[in-house]
Amino acid sequence: MTQFSQSRLDSIDIAFYHTRLSYNRRKITNQIMLIFTGILTSLALLPLVWIISYVVYKGGQYLSLDFFTQMPKPLGMEGGGVLHAIEGTIILTVLGGVIAIPPALLAAIYAAYHSNTILGIAVRFGTDVLSGVPSIIVGLFVYALVVKNQGHYSALAGGIALAIIIFPTIVRTTEEMIKLTPRTLREGSLALGAPEWKTTLSVTLVAAANGIVTGILLGLARASGETAPLLFTALGNENYEIGKIISSGVANRQGLLAILNRIFEQPVDSLPLTLWKYAQQPYPERISQSWAAALVLMILILVLNIATRIWLQRRMSRLQGR
Amino acid sequence: MDMFLDTFLLDFQNRNSHHNFPSLIDYSVTETAEEDKTKKVSFLVPASQIDSFTPSPQDTKYKASILNFSLFYGKFQALRNISMDIMANKITAIIGPSGCGKSTLLRSLNRMNDLVPNIRIQGQILLEGENIYAPGVDIVGVRRRVGMVFQRPNPFPKSIYDNIAYGPRLYGMRRRALLDEIVERSLQQAALWDEVKDKLHHSGMALSGGQQQRLCIARALAVQPEMILMDEPASALDPVATLKIEELMQSLKSEYTIVIVTHNMQQAARVSDYTAFMMIDNPQNRTGVLVEYGPTAQVFTNPQNKQTEDYVTGRFG
Repeated sequence: MTQFSQSRLDSIDIAFYHTRLSYNRRKITNQIMLIFTGILTSLALLPLVWIISYVVYKGGQYLSLDFFTQMPKPLGMEGGGVLHAIEGTIILTVLGGVIAIPPALLAAIYAAYHSNTILGIAVRFGTDVLSGVPSIIVGLFVYALVVKNQGHYSALAGGIALAIIIFPTIVRTTEEMIKLTPRTLREGSLALGAPEWKTTLSVTLVAAANGIVTGILLGLARASGETAPLLFTALGNENYEIGKIISSGVANRQGLLAILNRIFEQPVDSLPLTLWKYAQQPYPERISQSWAAALVLMILILVLNIATRIWLQRRMSRLQGR
Repeated sequence: MDMFLDTFLLDFQNRNSHHNFPSLIDYSVTETAEEDKTKKVSFLVPASQIDSFTPSPQDTKYKASILNFSLFYGKFQALRNISMDIMANKITAIIGPSGCGKSTLLRSLNRMNDLVPNIRIQGQILLEGENIYAPGVDIVGVRRRVGMVFQRPNPFPKSIYDNIAYGPRLYGMRRRALLDEIVERSLQQAALWDEVKDKLHHSGMALSGGQQQRLCIARALAVQPEMILMDEPASALDPVATLKIEELMQSLKSEYTIVIVTHNMQQAARVSDYTAFMMIDNPQNRTGVLVEYGPTAQVFTNPQNKQTEDYVTGRFG
């Protein structure tokens, strides 16, 4: 540093001198910040890795094929599975999706194309508020609305509660995805004389499909992990076995609607509900089944996720022609 | 005129040998305009004649006529009193600096501006003698007759085949054999058939930019429009792809009337038969007006208006 005496430097040299100083400082600052952010990123990933590996460790010990395919056995007996809860989770999630997706897509299309109208603003505001409502309140609401009127807990009530919970997620992601599709694509269709509904259906939604499917998937994954609203609505039912309902329905020559009605009118268990109930019991066997149920829930969501990703990848590469 | 052909762009003559400027020009009308140089607008329709001027539908000379057309976005006036006739089976170029309303005028020709909220128009646009802005006019019918190609290629996220068949299917065509025929013919017209005939069921988005734009042209041709509007169709393409589009336009004009908006004056000079020059009339209100309209050769070599001359010689804009 001392080799530059101030008198020998003209102003440009001074500038360069300071630049070099600050360059070194910036380089070091950059290194420090990079290390810092790297550490924090790993820290953020830590809970995820921890949770997954702990559940795999604890649940994996009890997991076997029987656990997926057998109904629960009475306490004190060896074995038994959570088939009823797997079936219940699928029933509830599908039901929630079937109820929520069509109106959510329509609301999203409306909000995307009429975003400045009163109704458009109301949809956006309303879904934001709805997504902030605690899920147990949704359960309470459906209890008052459906369970009390029906006179019993049911899968239908659980499905409705889950539908209300995933509705805002689907609306907002779909709306964003529709807004992201290039306007020129839409104009290309309209310029051919296509009416707006046709354009939306066969061009905009097709172009936005990947994002929309991802949004729906996020919603369904969340729904399949919900516990609180189901306490008030689906309740839980260790004797729920779709195979039995269907076979007895077929044996009694019941119609499809009657069988569906029997599937939806009963209380039903779900994986999070089962794991919550088992975890409270003072029997070591139930506790380990609870861990295994947690692992099954995670596997279900993972499989759903991976399957959709593969499907989306295939679709993308078909569209891009690669 | 000969001097023009000799001096201005040699390839102009070679590539467009079927161009025959002197015979294209309606001398009687041209002379009227030359006598009346003070008038700003249009040698074809002097402002004084606008009210009485109505081309008959039988007269194939004019494909479309824009009559005293003004357009407002809310309070902002985007176009004022534009009058020009678009000649059938010719290429008409609209040039002018950015923001002068070229695209707005173009999009008025198939009512694409209807999508914009708070829009208001005055005047008429006649397509084969019928006012497309008359109450009760079927917009779908207008857009079917007047196709459009956009600045950026916008193929649908579908296969090449489905892109082309989209329009015909819209109008109820379901028979596979007929659709096959339309797809092949449209792609051939758009000079794309040889490149894609083996991959009709691949995605249209897998094509190169120039191919995508020709696919969009083929898509517009598939519904057999009478007029095709092109909004800077080559501005997102490289020179080779641009050349292909320009050649394509020349081959299409025997069957279609083409209106092209372009920023590229050389392109306008190369491809068009008629050129319209638009400008904002003053920087405060930014309203677009038609300054000069005439045969391309005249507009570029012997402009009647000082502003046109300044623009085409590159002195501003």
